[in-house]
Amino acid sequence: MSESLKQRIKSTFKDIWVVALDDNRMSITAQGASVPAILMFLKDAGFDHLALISAVDYIEDNEFELCYILTRYMQGQDSEGQDLHIILRTRISRENANFHTVIGIYPNAEPYERELHELFGIEFEGHPRLIPLFLERNYDIPPFRKDFDTRKYVSDVFDNIPFIAIEKE
Amino acid sequence: MDRNQITKWLEAPAKMANKYSLHAVYFCTGCGIIEVPPVITARWDAERFGVIPVATPRQANLFLITGYVSVKTLRAIIRTYEQMYEPKYTVGFGSCPINGGMYWDSYNTIKHLDKYIPIDGWIAGCMPRPEAIFIAVTHLWTLIDKDMANGYIRYRENYRFYRRNQEMALGKLEWPPLFAPGNESVTDERQAVGSQQ
Repeated sequence: MSESLKQRIKSTFKDIWVVALDDNRMSITAQGASVPAILMFLKDAGFDHLALISAVDYIEDNEFELCYILTRYMQGQDSEGQDLHIILRTRISRENANFHTVIGIYPNAEPYERELHELFGIEFEGHPRLIPLFLERNYDIPPFRKDFDTRKYVSDVFDNIPFIAIEKE
Repeated sequence: MDRNQITKWLEAPAKMANKYSLHAVYFCTGCGIIEVPPVITARWDAERFGVIPVATPRQANLFLITGYVSVKTLRAIIRTYEQMYEPKYTVGFGSCPINGGMYWDSYNTIKHLDKYIPIDGWIAGCMPRPEAIFIAVTHLWTLIDKDMANGYIRYRENYRFYRRNQEMALGKLEWPPLFAPGNESVTDERQAVGSQQ
């Protein structure tokens, strides 16, 4: 079903690895620099809905993996790629976590990128407002990174708040 | 009306009226709020016990905290609690407000809610059944009868400790203190009145 789309992606881009995981799931692994071009290509191919951007912390490889999950609102309109979910993965360095924003292609990427900036510490160049989204407190290490020690943080912060001592008359 | 309670009504009518009209503030936090719609609707019908949800904290005197409390929710909980009129009763619902529950090592969840606001009773469980809310309400009646549901008095007496803990968790608070420092005279008067009676 998605064979022709797979062939088109493979013939258009190089250094790309396309796998059909399932009848309606496809995985694309690409270099970081070609991600915007691939997203624009897929948007032109009808994938007009960016469902999610998420990140995975591969601390052994010292890399983050960014995942863009794409699908389409109007399904089954044409024979090609109906009900198809595409996951586009790319790896970025963990030390200098930098990536370019995709707001220009998918405007709804804005809160997802803010969330990743807050929880993983990934900077998105060109993002108009990378301000805090969820968190109230300041953390030395962004809390979703694998080297953030939650138990140490809890014992340092929350366990240090004393119980209310009720003075008995 | 239960005839055995007539003496109680005559002795302390305001207390009895409070006790049988617990108006719960409609505050949804965590997953426990999913137990509240069956409680207030036809299946379990909390109005048999005088418990109804009300729209604003200024009409309420029962505060059910129904699940885990994130740092951001704690701010809303404190502001809601301070808006409620006295007497007011708080009940922690589920294991998460008690000691963190399954979020005991989470980076963004308050572990012991009674460090920040006073709690009159706890309902343990994950999740508690709706029947547990009625058990808690009847226990709360007993506590009110014995003047043991005194969380709001403890809050006033120990307000500087509560405020200190709130600031330790949330940083600088953007609202002024509810009670001025050194207002222990209020509770002294109250205890003096109690001893005269």
